[in-house]
Amino acid sequence: MIEVQNLTKRYGPFTAVDDVSFRVERGEILGFLGPNGAGKTTTMRVLTGYMPATDGKAMVAGYDVFTHPIEAKQRTGYLPETPPLYPEMTVRDYLTFVARIKAGALRRAERDARVQQVMRTTRIDDMAHRACGKLSKGYKQRVGLAQALIHEPEVLILDEPTAGLDPKQIMETRDLIRSLGGDHTIVLSTHILPEVAQTCQRVVIINKGKVVAVDTPENLTHQLKGSASLYVQVEGRTSAVEAIQDIPGVRRAFISDQHDAYTGYEIESEPNHDVRRDVARVLVTGGWGLIELRPMRMSLEEIFLQLTTNEQAEEARHG
Amino acid sequence: MGNLVRNVTAIAGKEMRGYYGSPVAWVLMGFFAVVFGYFFNVYLNFFVDQAMRGGQFGAPPPMHVNTDMIRPLLANASVLVLFMLPMITMRSYAEEKRSGTIELLLTSPVTDLEITLGKFLGAVSVYAGLLAVSLIPILILFSLGDPEWKPILSGYLGLLLLGSCFLALGLFVSSTTANQVIAGGVTFVVALMFWIINWLADSAGPTFGPILNYLSVTQHFDDFGKGVIDTTHLVFYLSFIAFSLFLTLKSVDSERWRG
Ligand SMILES: Nc1ncnc2c1ncn2[C@@H]1O[C@H](COP(=O)(O)OP(=O)(O)OP(=O)(O)O)[C@@H](O)[C@H]1O
Ligand SMILES: [Mg+2]
Repeated sequence: MIEVQNLTKRYGPFTAVDDVSFRVERGEILGFLGPNGAGKTTTMRVLTGYMPATDGKAMVAGYDVFTHPIEAKQRTGYLPETPPLYPEMTVRDYLTFVARIKAGALRRAERDARVQQVMRTTRIDDMAHRACGKLSKGYKQRVGLAQALIHEPEVLILDEPTAGLDPKQIMETRDLIRSLGGDHTIVLSTHILPEVAQTCQRVVIINKGKVVAVDTPENLTHQLKGSASLYVQVEGRTSAVEAIQDIPGVRRAFISDQHDAYTGYEIESEPNHDVRRDVARVLVTGGWGLIELRPMRMSLEEIFLQLTTNEQAEEARHG
Repeated sequence: MGNLVRNVTAIAGKEMRGYYGSPVAWVLMGFFAVVFGYFFNVYLNFFVDQAMRGGQFGAPPPMHVNTDMIRPLLANASVLVLFMLPMITMRSYAEEKRSGTIELLLTSPVTDLEITLGKFLGAVSVYAGLLAVSLIPILILFSLGDPEWKPILSGYLGLLLLGSCFLALGLFVSSTTANQVIAGGVTFVVALMFWIINWLADSAGPTFGPILNYLSVTQHFDDFGKGVIDTTHLVFYLSFIAFSLFLTLKSVDSERWRG
């Protein structure tokens, strides 16, 4: 549904997006994750036809956004970082105007019905007659979302849809986005990590204009847990470090926490070695009182930090 | 073509809503009505005064309501327009850029040309509203006397064209900045240059003199006031408008590339 190939965007000499490629399948919700200045907004602006790319190609709903902008825009709903509202217009007038420029083929009655319908979907009907400039932040965001939905686009591009909302509004917005998935192909950007795990089927992690990882949130947590993979607890103050390190496939083990009642170990294994069975056998046969054994799953937060700091470390080495 | 008309109408409608929804259009209209009414009154008194004096000596009155009252009145209106129109267009693009709503327009399935034409026609409609206000006292003249309507019509056509030039120019200036105060100020200065450029014509020599004269927007206005609709003047105004709108399109496009 969306295909980005070797996309590069430079502002003067500064490269904001550097050779980015990814695909989004029909009905999928893709999270675009990255710290401030990573190039999320820039990528989205190219995808929505707001600005042309310096290099590379972007296809949306089968149309090249550069050579067929009108066709692509007819199929794309976009919520910019700041909702693009006219402060003096009422919510209903505003949505009617957007419907006229985005779904011009609709007849008046159909258009009014459409406006009514998106106001219901985004739960802003009670504000229909309020001037957009007088709305609270949460409502402005919802009107922005309503505006993106008005022409029933196949593709939704949402730039930080939950930024600046209170926790309740964040939950509501995420629910809404999830409910829109399936019918719509959605790309949303965020720098809040749990958001990605909760709403998205796939994640593109971008840092300094470059894609550093593309995967499902689950796979990312699995794959990238990489080294620190197991946590075990045994009875009493003990030292099983050497015994554990002798197990094939274990790279390193160390005591992570120690109390009178138990000792906790973290065990790093070689990549793609499942050492759980061997660790359990060694501890049990060796007479250590095994209390607990569990894989240590890195949170997305940690992965994110790891990925982005690795990148920085590498850069420091090169430059 | 159908799409073009539809999208241009939608955007022009939104522009007008914006003008009338904010104090801008109303303040301008009030200001224009007061000042125009004042001029009208001054000319009316002067005209009546002169006509009476002419009558005292038995000679036929040398004054004509068209040439001696309405024409100078419209010439004055054209000066007012110079001062007021930059205030109409100053926010058109600048404010959309500042507030980010330009992102909505540029990511909607409408072309840059449709946006520019819509904005231009929206501004022209507001200006036409101003002119309509000034027609009220003129209509009163019809009930009192018997002025010729043709020079009045051509005079108003001239005003509309002259003003539309400034509006198109203002649109272009507004598209180059996100600051509406700058947009208004620069538009006024540039418009003023086109206004007074023929003052330099006499000293500019035989090659540049006529060019400067040709570029002066006022030179082209005079004939309209006399009731003459000359195609050279029409061509001048329409090319001025087309060229300014073309520059606006280019400016929006280059802004796109720069980001
Ligand atoms: N119009 C512009 N001109 C010059 N540089 C720009 C422009 N827009 C963005 N940049 C730069 O490009 C880089 C990427 O910006 P972008 O807005 O895409 O990041 P982002 O991932 O959306 O960040 P955030 O999370 O803060 O929204 C930043 O370093 C920014 O300063
Ligand atoms: Mg951003």
